[in-house]
Amino acid sequence: MALGLLAVSAAAPFVLLALWSVGRDWFYPAVFPPKFTAESWRDLLSGERLLGATATSLVLGAGTGAFACIAGLPVGRSLARLTGWRRHAGAALAFLPVAAPPIALATGLQFSFLRLGLGGTLVGVLLAHAVPAIGYGSLYFLGVFAVFDSRIEEESRSLGATSRQTFFHVVLPLLRRPLADAFALGFLVSWSQVPLTLLVGGGPVRTLPIEVFSLVQSGQDRLAATGALLLLVPAIAALAATRLAASRTEVMAV
Amino acid sequence: MRGGGWAAALVATPVAVGVTYSLAAATGLAGYGAGGFTLDRVERVLGEAAVWESFLWTVRTAALATLIAGAAAVAAAVGFRGSSALDRTARALAVLPLPVPHLIAATTAVLVLGQSGLLSRIAASAGWLAGPADMPALVYDRGGIGLILMLGWKEFPFLALVAFSVLATRGAALEDTARSLGAGPWQRFRRITWPVLWRGLAPAAVAVFAFAAGSYEAAALLAPSDPQALPVLTLERYTDPDLARRGDAFVLTLLALALAAGAVLLHEWLRHRVERLDR
Amino acid sequence: MTESGLKVLRLRAPFGTAPGLENISFEVAPGERLALVGASGAGKTTLLRAVAGLGPGAAERIEVAGREVGTLPAERRGVVYLQQTPLLFPHLTVGENVAFPLRVRGVRGSRVDAAVGEVMEALRLGGLAKRRPQSLSGGQRHRTALARAIVARPPVLLLDEPFASLDPVLRHEVREAVRVVQEAYRPALVLVTHDLDEAGALAARIGVLLDGRLAQVAPPSHLFTRPASLAVARFLRLPNSVPGTIRPDGSFDSVLGVLPLRAPAAPGPGVAFFSVDGVRIAPDGAIAARVVELRYRVQQTTVVVALGDVRLEVPLDGQGELSPGIEVRLAVHAGAISVFPAP
Repeated sequence: MALGLLAVSAAAPFVLLALWSVGRDWFYPAVFPPKFTAESWRDLLSGERLLGATATSLVLGAGTGAFACIAGLPVGRSLARLTGWRRHAGAALAFLPVAAPPIALATGLQFSFLRLGLGGTLVGVLLAHAVPAIGYGSLYFLGVFAVFDSRIEEESRSLGATSRQTFFHVVLPLLRRPLADAFALGFLVSWSQVPLTLLVGGGPVRTLPIEVFSLVQSGQDRLAATGALLLLVPAIAALAATRLAASRTEVMAV
Repeated sequence: MRGGGWAAALVATPVAVGVTYSLAAATGLAGYGAGGFTLDRVERVLGEAAVWESFLWTVRTAALATLIAGAAAVAAAVGFRGSSALDRTARALAVLPLPVPHLIAATTAVLVLGQSGLLSRIAASAGWLAGPADMPALVYDRGGIGLILMLGWKEFPFLALVAFSVLATRGAALEDTARSLGAGPWQRFRRITWPVLWRGLAPAAVAVFAFAAGSYEAAALLAPSDPQALPVLTLERYTDPDLARRGDAFVLTLLALALAAGAVLLHEWLRHRVERLDR
Repeated sequence: MTESGLKVLRLRAPFGTAPGLENISFEVAPGERLALVGASGAGKTTLLRAVAGLGPGAAERIEVAGREVGTLPAERRGVVYLQQTPLLFPHLTVGENVAFPLRVRGVRGSRVDAAVGEVMEALRLGGLAKRRPQSLSGGQRHRTALARAIVARPPVLLLDEPFASLDPVLRHEVREAVRVVQEAYRPALVLVTHDLDEAGALAARIGVLLDGRLAQVAPPSHLFTRPASLAVARFLRLPNSVPGTIRPDGSFDSVLGVLPLRAPAAPGPGVAFFSVDGVRIAPDGAIAARVVELRYRVQQTTVVVALGDVRLEVPLDGQGELSPGIEVRLAVHAGAISVFPAP
């Protein structure tokens, strides 16, 4: 029974949003929509707004995922070489951009972005998203390298390979899975981000979550639900595919 | 400082920049209407009742959500262990909401718990309510019930995972030992399982609390307008048409960052303690 | 037979994909030590856990101190099972760890302190009560685990490979501790080990677990000289084996001469197994052999001699100068030789 409760609560958003996105004339107090319509999906797929926002989000997501990998890996690796309180101190530093409320980050950094001429630009928003994402990536790779047996690198070196060769031919292949996970982690950070995009992106940069957010606030339930599903499905898919669950625990349980 | 230290400092640099600018803007050294160092604004904002109400309300809401999620996580981990098939299914289900963005969870919460939402409709169909107005306010309410439920729902998977893994790695063997020494089920839970579990869960709970307290979109969609949640209040001041008030947002930012920093320090200290137990 | 201690009657337990344990019966008297030996994966841990109630398995009867406990949950059986690596509760101090069995039995106050203090003194843990388990040395951890196990005077103590993977110094320390525990508190003790020499040194009786069954339970002297079956003899890895023929008249014919059989066996090919004590070098011995090699060991140096194709290892016992190539004479100690039909 407890398992059933768990199942219901876990599946609820999917089911409910799906219903809401296709329900027509679904007024109070009907528990089920009396009619169905594919209107909002049609609008969505032919309309520019949501599609454009989705494209923007995809680009930002991919870029942020890349940041999480490319920057997170070396940081995490060097953190893993520390021990004792130093490692904890380092992890705390990497944790700061993760735990800091995005709204606080946004207000604090907005000025710098404006000064650098990045306000209202896609690049600016990407850099803003990268801030927490690199933190996540660093913590994640700290966890990965903390249990990585570096003796395999020694083995490679004693067989004659240089540091560079060892990294590209021995270490990197072993990290394929973690890299995919870190990418997904970074992607998700950007994909679901609202405050950073709002402030740094200003008006020009519209991402999917921003669109959904304004739809919900203006009470347009059906469109909002449609957008929300659009937001939801890739998130689940990407992450189920790379067992993100385990990774995020590792991020925290370093 | 060795390589790792520098690298981590680099990652934290944006936060440092943010803090520095906020400090400058809050004390009149930068930003609109900067007229030189003064603590007036800081004093004024920190003296505002609305600000403290907002801060305390935010902390209390996040704490309650974390407590609920934590209790559910403990119950799930303890309840589902033993049978491995059940355990694996439960784990998979528990984990499902993990990648759901706060925005989606909040949207769903509005659709379900709102006055004309699903819950209300079900109650009306069952005859318990006459109309939407009769539905007790679960969103935009002072109690923040809707927000607490939504945050709890979102953070539960993460805490459940940690709880499952703590029990799996540390709990099982200790339990057998305790049984062999004569401890019955309740005694095992009270003296062994629970102490090990809460110590392992504490760092994760602190992290979850920080995330819950900092969520903007959840608060924007579900929190009341009085008192406002801190992230929402921050944005409001930041975009205030009265330009003179905009600087207030920086004091609030500093408040939020201080809370986050405190949480981070507490988290790492707790992790350190947990690791000492493992040696 | 014994009205207290441990009595197990026809225990069976599944383990892994192997057929499992069948028909295991044995008894251990209070204060007695039984060593259980067997190959890795033979089911020794499964057996102990089944007796303790921590793992699958059921028996017709499991009696502890005269009481049937087979139907009781693990915590009420009076059987303490100690794992190989001491598992101390990390969130409790050493003193709290040792006091644990008393506290869960509802013992309070000064009685707890007294019992804990006594046991910790006996195991040389005095003064460590307030320390955390993480700060203890390996030997201290083992002794703490033992103290905790014994403080509530359990009738039965099961030790699972207590000395495996310990360096010699630590091993000595832990063995001493086990001896102290046993002499002072006299539980019925079953200890599992894969080290036969250790089993011989420590236990009054040894039980050999082979293929899911208890092939033999006997005192070491008996076991080593009279293994019950070919399988047991092979398991003991007795150094000497000699092929020959079992004659219809109940004797065994081989390069060692004609030996009487202890028990009748089917005529046909047979094998004799024996340790280094089965044959010795004696000037008046009946068998001729030639020295091949001397094996030097701290405990006992042995001589390898050849009789035709057969190599035997015999004790070096002050026979003066021996070197490879020298001819010697051997005398056979028939009582130490076991003969089995060849498989």
